[in-house]
Amino acid sequence: MAVVTLDRLTKIYDRAHAPAADAVSLEVRHGEFMVLLGPSGCGKTTTLRMIAGLESISSGTLSIDGREVSRVPAKDRDIAMVFQSYALYPHMSVADNLAFGLRRRSVPRAEIERRVTAVAGTLGLSGLLERKPHALSGGQRQRVALGRAIVRDPKVFLFDEPLSNLDAALRVSTRGEIGRLHRRLGATMIYVTHDQVEAMTLGQRICIMNGGKVVQVGPPLEVYRRPANTFVAAFLGNPPMNLLPARATGERGGRAVRLGEATVELPAARCPPLAAGTPVMLGIRPENIVARPRDGDGFTGIEAEIVQVEALGAETILAARVAGMDRDLMARIGPDSDATVGARRSLSLDLSAVHLFDATGTAIVPDAQT
Amino acid sequence: MPALKRALLLLLLCLYTSFAAGPFVWAAMMSLRTTTEIHRNHFALPNPAHWEKFSEAWFNSNYGIYFANSSQIVVSAVLILTIVGSMAAHCLARYKFRLNRAIYFILFSTIIFPPQITIISLFQILVQYGLYNTKVGLTLVYVAIQLPLTIYILESFFARIPSDLFDAARMDGYSDWEIFWRVSFPIALPAVATTVILNFILLWNEFLYAVVLITEEANRTLPLGIQQFIGDSQEDVGMIATGLMIAIIPVVVVYAFFSERLIQGMTAGALK
Amino acid sequence: MPAATDEGARDSGLRTPWGTIAAFLLPALIVYVAFTAYPALRTIWNSFHKVLPRREEAVGLANYAELVADDIFWRAVRNTITWACTSPLVEVSIALLLALALYARVPGARFFRVAWFTPVLMSYVVVGILWLWIYNFDWGPVNVALRALGLGGWTKAWLGDPKTALPSLIFVTSWMWVGFNMVVLLAALHSLPREVIEAAELDNCGWGAKLVFVILPLIRATLLNLVVLSFIGKMKIFDLVWITTKGNPLWATETVSTYVYKRAFEWTTFDLGYPSTIAAVWFVIVLAAVLTLTWLFRLREKLEY
Repeated sequence: MAVVTLDRLTKIYDRAHAPAADAVSLEVRHGEFMVLLGPSGCGKTTTLRMIAGLESISSGTLSIDGREVSRVPAKDRDIAMVFQSYALYPHMSVADNLAFGLRRRSVPRAEIERRVTAVAGTLGLSGLLERKPHALSGGQRQRVALGRAIVRDPKVFLFDEPLSNLDAALRVSTRGEIGRLHRRLGATMIYVTHDQVEAMTLGQRICIMNGGKVVQVGPPLEVYRRPANTFVAAFLGNPPMNLLPARATGERGGRAVRLGEATVELPAARCPPLAAGTPVMLGIRPENIVARPRDGDGFTGIEAEIVQVEALGAETILAARVAGMDRDLMARIGPDSDATVGARRSLSLDLSAVHLFDATGTAIVPDAQT
Repeated sequence: MPALKRALLLLLLCLYTSFAAGPFVWAAMMSLRTTTEIHRNHFALPNPAHWEKFSEAWFNSNYGIYFANSSQIVVSAVLILTIVGSMAAHCLARYKFRLNRAIYFILFSTIIFPPQITIISLFQILVQYGLYNTKVGLTLVYVAIQLPLTIYILESFFARIPSDLFDAARMDGYSDWEIFWRVSFPIALPAVATTVILNFILLWNEFLYAVVLITEEANRTLPLGIQQFIGDSQEDVGMIATGLMIAIIPVVVVYAFFSERLIQGMTAGALK
Repeated sequence: MPAATDEGARDSGLRTPWGTIAAFLLPALIVYVAFTAYPALRTIWNSFHKVLPRREEAVGLANYAELVADDIFWRAVRNTITWACTSPLVEVSIALLLALALYARVPGARFFRVAWFTPVLMSYVVVGILWLWIYNFDWGPVNVALRALGLGGWTKAWLGDPKTALPSLIFVTSWMWVGFNMVVLLAALHSLPREVIEAAELDNCGWGAKLVFVILPLIRATLLNLVVLSFIGKMKIFDLVWITTKGNPLWATETVSTYVYKRAFEWTTFDLGYPSTIAAVWFVIVLAAVLTLTWLFRLREKLEY
């Protein structure tokens, strides 16, 4: 386990307009499971590859356990990586795949034998040791890739979207395995994914990236409950947070905003005084909307026409059109709803769970909270 | 890679390039110098450059005739190869029938045949049917020798066309021939272009069959013409060099425009 | 071309349109039968006869018996097989080194690739003449260079000396075909999965180890395929020898193909039967060699990744 420190790590490819990774600064703690999350092209894989040493660093420094490794070749960084395509050696058996890295490091044969047998046992590969990769299923190959990393006993584990080539069921079970692995080994792990479910379930902290830059870093629930900007707010959560454009009216101590054709007063805990005319973005998550009138009590009612109902069994997702607003409101309600398409309903928004963002998309946080 | 190692490597590669291209550059230089000049110094630059040697070779030394013969024969052969080859390839790639793989294998395996196994009898056959020493005879033989490779390259391309396209065409009422001519062939145009270029180069340079099946001066192809020349006038190095350039230039032109396609076509099947 | 009609629809309704198939295949098959299959069979038939200008005389196995005792034939076979065995080794190994150099991302890789491929495109006639000049004793670049370096004692009549003639020709074909092999190997190297090579790097492999443990095993099929292709090509060789030495000096560069040509068209007695025998025997030898090599290298096995 080790501390990995990224200090303004930047990568610019030749003839590119913008950096693929732009001044990424991050500190991964001892034994922490850090997830780099973001959409395609956000720079997360580039950053991971720079940590691994597979990409050169254009500027900035990388340190592992306090030692700067920016120019150290990949093989000397004591890092193991699980690739998206598993990258198993096609011409070698599973046993050889596992042992290869150790043999190249002149580890004594008995030790190699011991480690390979142990890891194979843990991952359920003992019966497959003589097979070649092409004779394995996707899930088995994934486990060999994992095993290859574990057997090295490295300071840091790197994962490059390891689950994206698996089918849905395997993804869930392998996700669990990786989580268990981390708890057992207690090793420092850096995990790249675009899937927020993986990030939320596996990460001890999530680093959200967009356009090459770090947007927000924090534990999953904190990032979920206190998104730093609209990008993070909309990225986490399914269906994503509703982002409604509104304008402050200046009334009620600066906490009233005009939402479509209605005026809403926001609680002081969520909203600082706003000058009249200030454009804001009101964010409310689908699970914080209730499909029945409930005025007062911290809730505010809104008249809406249901335009879509998705009954998923355990819950129902509604899309509702509100007068004066150009986008539909998504609400997540209980399974026993009797809402039908075309019905007019009063939806209640839980104002204590409302998020405010300014015109640039940054979260507006009243001074009392930090 | 450290800069010094890289520089050394580059130097080695440049040396190799001069080794690979050197002979041609030398021939090009000699093609523009008279034989007397050459014998004085074999490696000097052309000064002055005698461009008139090319017209001299063309008209006085019959290179014009050889060039015309080669053109006629090769162009006709390539045309026939393209049509016959693509028809056969389309059929083998798209229709399932019991003898399909057997026929494909038989056609393809002839690539290994040493030419001797057919050349003696071809000589006899062409003589028998009055096609010996004719351009028509050589053209037909040329079609035969390039057919396996052509079908090989085209078949794998035709096979990769998604069958949905054919099903759609069939549902639109196209007949089998129309499906071939309007669907398969146009889509396979890149591969067809590759075989055209490939066949052109290989047949333009072909020597063995030409030397056996053509003896008359009027029907000689370019390779034969050049060979005759070194027989006749061993010492006229300058003229021979000019003749060589006349032979090389069409190939270089094709290569300049189509290098990628040509390289891929010639190396197809070698990559496993 | 209308689809073939069937006599009464079968169960699945998918009938093989034999008429169409025939229409598409017939031209190719006719050409094949007329100019490849039939001639091949006829050559074999010839081998059991004396084939004179106006008549043929059946001689059973007499030609074959003569062949066994024919010193020149066996010399030609030795030459050709030596050629076919040495060339692939030289060509493919040098090509591999060059391909690795370009793979290591040297600047100008694209230029080199195109430049090195050029010799392959030239007619053997052109190549033959060029090298006749290059090997010229008095003014060819080889001897001129040797003399310039003070190694005058090493100059030889490269194509005139029985000891150096064949190696000199082998050198020429290598010069020609290295470019071809290099292009194929470069493509093979580029098709290797990048992440596997990166995994090797993380597994503490330097350049040498990557080459030996990962790259070479993965391009093995292509390497062996090139060896077989080169072998077949050299077993057939004719043009180059005919232009440069015609088998001289003293059968030192005689190949089976030049010998067949000579026996068929340049011998004092005109008989196509004997050269047909040579052709038939050679055909069997080449086929056997190719099958053995393919089996030996187990080229059927495809490495999936």
